[in-house]
Amino acid sequence: MRRACSASRKSLPNKLTTVAAPRRTPWRGWLAGILLLGTLGAAGSAAVAHLRRPNAAFVAPANFPALVYDVAKNQPYEATFELGRQLFYDPRLSSDGTISCGSCHQQSRAFTDGQALALGVAGRRSARNTPALQNLGWHRSFMADGGVRGLELQALAPLTSPQEMNEPLADALAKLNADPEYRRRFAAIYGPGKIDTPQFLKALAQFTSALVSADSRYDKHVRHEPGGTLTAPEQRGLALFQQKCSGCHATDLFTDESFRNNGLDRTFPVDSGRAHISQLPADAGRFRVPSLRNVARTAPYMHDGRFATLPEVLAHYDHGVRPSRTLDPLLRQPDGRLGLPLTAQEQQELLAFLNTLTDNSLLTNPRFAPPPAAARNQLPLAGVGR
Amino acid sequence: MKIRFSTLGLLLLPLALFSGCKKDSDSLEPTGSVNFTVRNVAGSQDLVLNNTVATTATGETFTTETFEYYLSNIKLIKSDGSTYAAPDTYFLVDQAKPSSLSFTVPGVPAGDYTGVSFIVGVDAQKTGLTDPATFTGDLNQANNMYWTWNSGHIFLKLQGTITSTTPNKPLTCHIGGYTDPNNAIVTATPSFSGAKLTVQANHTPQLHLVANVTKVFDGPKPVALSTFTGAHMPSAQSVQLAQNYAAGMFSVEKITTE
Repeated sequence: MRRACSASRKSLPNKLTTVAAPRRTPWRGWLAGILLLGTLGAAGSAAVAHLRRPNAAFVAPANFPALVYDVAKNQPYEATFELGRQLFYDPRLSSDGTISCGSCHQQSRAFTDGQALALGVAGRRSARNTPALQNLGWHRSFMADGGVRGLELQALAPLTSPQEMNEPLADALAKLNADPEYRRRFAAIYGPGKIDTPQFLKALAQFTSALVSADSRYDKHVRHEPGGTLTAPEQRGLALFQQKCSGCHATDLFTDESFRNNGLDRTFPVDSGRAHISQLPADAGRFRVPSLRNVARTAPYMHDGRFATLPEVLAHYDHGVRPSRTLDPLLRQPDGRLGLPLTAQEQQELLAFLNTLTDNSLLTNPRFAPPPAAARNQLPLAGVGR
Repeated sequence: MKIRFSTLGLLLLPLALFSGCKKDSDSLEPTGSVNFTVRNVAGSQDLVLNNTVATTATGETFTTETFEYYLSNIKLIKSDGSTYAAPDTYFLVDQAKPSSLSFTVPGVPAGDYTGVSFIVGVDAQKTGLTDPATFTGDLNQANNMYWTWNSGHIFLKLQGTITSTTPNKPLTCHIGGYTDPNNAIVTATPSFSGAKLTVQANHTPQLHLVANVTKVFDGPKPVALSTFTGAHMPSAQSVQLAQNYAAGMFSVEKITTE
């Protein structure tokens, strides 16, 4: 399979690699290329789907750290992205055909669901809040406890969890292999033969890794781009954020990807977080620091969705932090007080700043929406593998 | 003169090439294959799923619905202590699939071997990979021997019913984990008891292994089924069970040559 794939790559036209990009924001060239391909694809040109996306794919936005995901082992192709999108939104992949990835990961909510706890097949509730899907290529681990170690492995967790899609991998593959349309689309990319685990997971990852959020008003502000003006309260909120929050919500990914106990509880009988994976007492109650990108759209908050609004979250940090042996040191003030003291005005300014992290380029881009029902029939028979 | 030397060179060239080739092929050791068979038992009985009642050393009993494990990183050991590590050997033994109860390791240098070792499970380097394309063959996650919520293979799966308690209770052992402090990667070295396994190019010896399921609980760190609550994740309990099966589950029944 791999041999066939790499052989085919050499013969691919490469016209779109020359898409011009402003020097300051190289990732825009990539985005422009995708949009261009999307537009041409929608026009129904079979030839266009054969094209590679620009080689600039996943060049980090100028204000981001280096990409973690090894894109070279899952070379972006338009046809593969579209296949991943189809898989992402296909409820047939759940045990009873009712839940797709997109059921809990809704675009307008930065790929969350507005629920405290995720809702799976047969009304089952997961133990945790649905995480936002954005900038996944920069993750070193996945899930609130970091149990999953790679983007391509990640989809297996909700797929097979009895509380979520409840579908053994072998059964999902059998469904795909029984579907002539999927067989045709996979074969067009990976060559003839049965749809197998890596094909399935890599196609899905082409969609999930493309969910990049780097175009909020804040981003434009730090990159000195048009549309990046922050109001005075927003600027004060940014300064406060850098002073009080960026110890954990670090870099322009707004997370340092560590696991921390932010003082929600004194004990952790229901969900021990990172300790569930590491089995280390020192990890009890520690959860992955989430990114705050699009945070205004991802309510409710915390790993168990206990806070309905952002003001509740800020109130927690001001006066709700509870002590435990594993409480993060950054939430203990030198005077022994717990939490991060924030005046009412400071909380307002922080809220103003957090709202500048909303990124409509992720939330409304039609490429990330459920595929039109007709799209399945418009796809060319031959793909990049031919 | 020049012409003469050139001519001589041209005449000698094929000779030089030929002798070079000959030397190379001489230096290639002949190799053969070794066929492994595994017979799962419960004490002195052949293991029949959903039927055989296994009895531990302390007289507790259980029946088995699922018994699967990986054997990997197979090494053959010569009497002088030198070893041959067979590359890329990952075999999933599943009592429910008779075809999985034998497998062949090709490319073993000819010679007399006096011992064998293998990991019961998957090495950390392999199972820790994040590219699913690297999990070929028996390592494919579709085999349901992989933790999707805590990346890594399940090394050994034993499911059934504990029948010596009232009421009976489910028996679940999913053993795995490849990082400290809960690293459950263990190596078994069942003895040949002085026998020799002779590998030659033209015939394939068979190494007949027996795997005794009760040794998951009996061993250097015995586990009482009456109080056992199951093993579902990398944990101290997983490591304890792994140390048991590493020590005593596998034995060599016989070595035959076809």
